[in-house]
Amino acid sequence: MSSNAPIIEFKNIWKKYSRSRIFHKSLREDIANIFQFKKNKDLSSDEFWALKKINLTIAQGETLGFYGPNGAGKSTILKLIAGVTYPTKGTIKAEGRIAPLLEIGAGFHKDLTGRENIFINGAILGMKIPEIKNLLDLIIDFSEIQEFIDMPVKKYSSGMYLRLAFSIAIHSQADIYLIDEIIAVGDEDFKRKCLAKMNELKTKGKTLLLVTHDLSLMQQLADRIIFLNKSEISHQEEIL
Amino acid sequence: MLLAELKDIIRCKDLLLIFIWKEFSVRYNQAVFGIAWAIIQPLSFMLVFTFIFTYVIPTHVSNLPRPVFFYSGLLPWTFFLSSLNYSVPSLTNHHNLIKKIKFPRIFLPLSGIAVAFVDFLIAGIIFAGILFFYKIPIPLTALFCVPLTILLILFTVSFSLLLCSINVYYRDVGLAIATLLRLWFFATPILYSLDNLPERFKIITFLNPLAYIIKNLRICLFLGKPINVTEYLSMLIAGTIFLIMSFAFFKIAERKFADVI
Repeated sequence: MSSNAPIIEFKNIWKKYSRSRIFHKSLREDIANIFQFKKNKDLSSDEFWALKKINLTIAQGETLGFYGPNGAGKSTILKLIAGVTYPTKGTIKAEGRIAPLLEIGAGFHKDLTGRENIFINGAILGMKIPEIKNLLDLIIDFSEIQEFIDMPVKKYSSGMYLRLAFSIAIHSQADIYLIDEIIAVGDEDFKRKCLAKMNELKTKGKTLLLVTHDLSLMQQLADRIIFLNKSEISHQEEIL
Repeated sequence: MLLAELKDIIRCKDLLLIFIWKEFSVRYNQAVFGIAWAIIQPLSFMLVFTFIFTYVIPTHVSNLPRPVFFYSGLLPWTFFLSSLNYSVPSLTNHHNLIKKIKFPRIFLPLSGIAVAFVDFLIAGIIFAGILFFYKIPIPLTALFCVPLTILLILFTVSFSLLLCSINVYYRDVGLAIATLLRLWFFATPILYSLDNLPERFKIITFLNPLAYIIKNLRICLFLGKPINVTEYLSMLIAGTIFLIMSFAFFKIAERKFADVI
């Protein structure tokens, strides 16, 4: 499917982070930079590169896995694609609606019921209220937690929680899905169901980006795996 | 740039509605008294101040019944106070969300202010009840409360945006805000009337927008006099400039929220 037009493009992306706890400089610098038209691109003592010279083109409909040790920069890449953070150097193009799978605790409010949380989570993922209403039954059915759907989610087990979160994200009508380390939590049955659903999204021409430490799972799903090490792409592997 | 931002906000209005609804449900979900909490704060302070200035330190505050006088100041103040209390920690409370997904971050502080505003409206209805109880006629100039409320919203949103975005970088704001607001309360003519203030202190009306708002609310409600148009327009212009600057500041700070939060 990689003959399709690129949906995501990274051109020489560098991203630096600060180690320090307090950001004495950054806000002041950002304000000053507006007037000085310069960008601070060198590394100061308490900073490090989380990503270095990343060049990456992802075609529409491609399923891509990111693999590498902790701190290699996998999640930073997903954050850049999601548009929550910006590169220090280089340009990124990402087109279409993006649905990150929200991890436990992120998009849910514990005091509200599962049903109420579907609306909150759905809206955060960019869905309109009527859209969510239409998909409500599908989302609940897929999650298989019908009997608990009107219970506050703080009473959910982590498995139930995951089922609901996954179900919302997967039904969110996005073009790009970001799946970060999450599939591992569910039971075998649900895992199989998720894999089937992801394959279904693939056949629909959606773009899937996976981060997991389960290499065999990734080889099963992905068309291509990017191996990251020490903030750089070490090599790539096409899966046939 | 500003226009594009506004378009973005309108495009995502469903999310704002959901956030406001969420704030409401979360707040009243496990609360037995529910919506009554909206009026308990101004009402209880009104009673305490009335008691203190009637029995403990008998003072002549104004020609109005003390509850009416205090409540008229507490009403806008409570809106300002709870707006800041909601909005300042709103971004840091949602750090998980901010690190994961893109959506207009401004909805987080705004939804808190919206909830405070509904409380303000409910407390306003109670105010009408208090006026009725004391048989205080409501003059036509009471309509000036509307432009004054607009001014109040303008300054509240501006302060909220400014402080909540700085709070992401420096948690000092969250710590300082309680003290700051307590001092600010006394710098605002809630317990007293500006008429009793020596001339040289009257500059606070111009430096403290809340002082201006409360003073003029009382003038148009109780004296039946219109507000001074030039004065109002200069406050409105100042407020608008302040809002634009706070918004621009928020947008700059926003780019690094996910990195520093």
